Amino acid sequence: MRLLSGDARRAVFAPLDDGAMRSEAVVRRLGSAIALGIIVDGEQLPSEQQLAASLNVSTVTLRDALSDLRTRGLVDTRRGRGGGSFVCASEEALTELARGRLRELAGTDLRELGDVRAAVSGAAARLAAERASEGEIERLRETLGRLAAATGGTARRRIESRFFIDVAAAAQSVRLTREEIELQFELGQVMWGAGLAEADPLATVEGHHRVVDAIAARDGVLARGLTEEHIASVTARLVDAHVRLMRRHNRRPDHAANGAFPEAAGT
Amino acid sequence: MSTHRGPPDGDVDRRVADQAADVIGGVVERVFRTVLELRDEVLAAYRAAVARDGRMCERDVTALRDPVLGRLGREHQAAIGMGVVVAPGLLADRELRIEWWQYGTRAPGAGRGEPTLLEVDLNPASVGFYDYATAEWFVGPRRTGRRHVVGPYVDVHGTDRYLLTLTVPVVADGAFLGVAGADLPVARFEALVLRELGDLAADVVVVNPEDRVVLSTSARWLAGSRAVFTDADTARTLAEPRWRVVTTRR
Repeated sequence: MRLLSGDARRAVFAPLDDGAMRSEAVVRRLGSAIALGIIVDGEQLPSEQQLAASLNVSTVTLRDALSDLRTRGLVDTRRGRGGGSFVCASEEALTELARGRLRELAGTDLRELGDVRAAVSGAAARLAAERASEGEIERLRETLGRLAAATGGTARRRIESRFFIDVAAAAQSVRLTREEIELQFELGQVMWGAGLAEADPLATVEGHHRVVDAIAARDGVLARGLTEEHIASVTARLVDAHVRLMRRHNRRPDHAANGAFPEAAGT
Repeated sequence: MSTHRGPPDGDVDRRVADQAADVIGGVVERVFRTVLELRDEVLAAYRAAVARDGRMCERDVTALRDPVLGRLGREHQAAIGMGVVVAPGLLADRELRIEWWQYGTRAPGAGRGEPTLLEVDLNPASVGFYDYATAEWFVGPRRTGRRHVVGPYVDVHGTDRYLLTLTVPVVADGAFLGVAGADLPVARFEALVLRELGDLAADVVVVNPEDRVVLSTSARWLAGSRAVFTDADTARTLAEPRWRVVTTRR
């Protein structure tokens, strides 16, 4: 999915090429878009027919997906005049969606995601140290300032995504930036939500500041090393959370979502 | 940074630098001329709207579509995008507004298709929010009242390209209305300049005021990389954009 081109919103409704399990793919696509704020709270979705046509799924599949989203509390369908499907950007529902995705994925999937993130974000950090202008470095610090001031898991995730994307842009690489955006989109599917015990937000901001300091000091090796370390620790927390969810899920499937999990969030 | 000069021959260096400066200036000036015409269209539209309704509205900006498209079509060799970006709060019925058109990215020679309207995310809460009021190409002309060239830079959440953006302020009776501008892909700028430069007796490196390489005829300096040159290295400095032209012997 292309978010960079400014037609992010159009991309949300672009045809799905995921193949199997299509209604789940629709749920994931729309869920991520809601989480990232590309489609906003209260916004009306296109009609079922339009939506099915643009996503290239059958109306049956689309109805399954909408019903799933309704059950999750991410979509509200009103009947009659002025009716339709409306977006509800609830933190709780997004958290639950992320939990479901964490259960679906295997530990190796999460490890793979971490590997690619390390390759892309690590390289971006190193190149940014070589290439970023003073102005770009200043903007990275501003983004971290906003991250430190943000309240709520969703707001923090959005700003943190932005930070990683901006580092890639500061590396002067359109292609790395595009990769980073797609990774953040994918990561968003397992990472959303408040209520999950984040890694200490202040420590996270602190860690990112050290990366920016290394970029400012033109120390590419350090910037890359710190970025890779950070991503490895996030990946480890995600795998831990995944394993815990799976084990609980097997023991008490009905209550899987209700336990208190020391889970991961914060990239 | 050392430029590894060969035997001193200031004349050759100066001649090469002058030639490069002329070519670069020519490309940049041509785009700016078109952008200034567009600015005049915006001013006329603003005055007409104020005379009629007291304030400019979104539809007055939408009506600038044809003036934008006409000039973009004419300037197709260099500019890949062109448009008008409105100062926040100017319009009576819309806080933020961009009327910007661009050609799609295609393989060279594959034809360019029709220009499309740039649709950016103007929702401040979104991760993809296109915060143009803080963009350098907007802030620069607003602050100085002069034209600006920004880049090379990756236009995140905007046009998905590696760009130079050229903007001029639109000012009526001391009030800043926004900017008119054009996007010039770095790759296209390079092609235009290299084609006109032909064979040179020395290599040329052009850096912007942030020490970023804009253009280079040598693989020792890649466009987008940082290269800190001193005044002593610099054969020529352009007026606006304030780019340094450095010549270096092969």
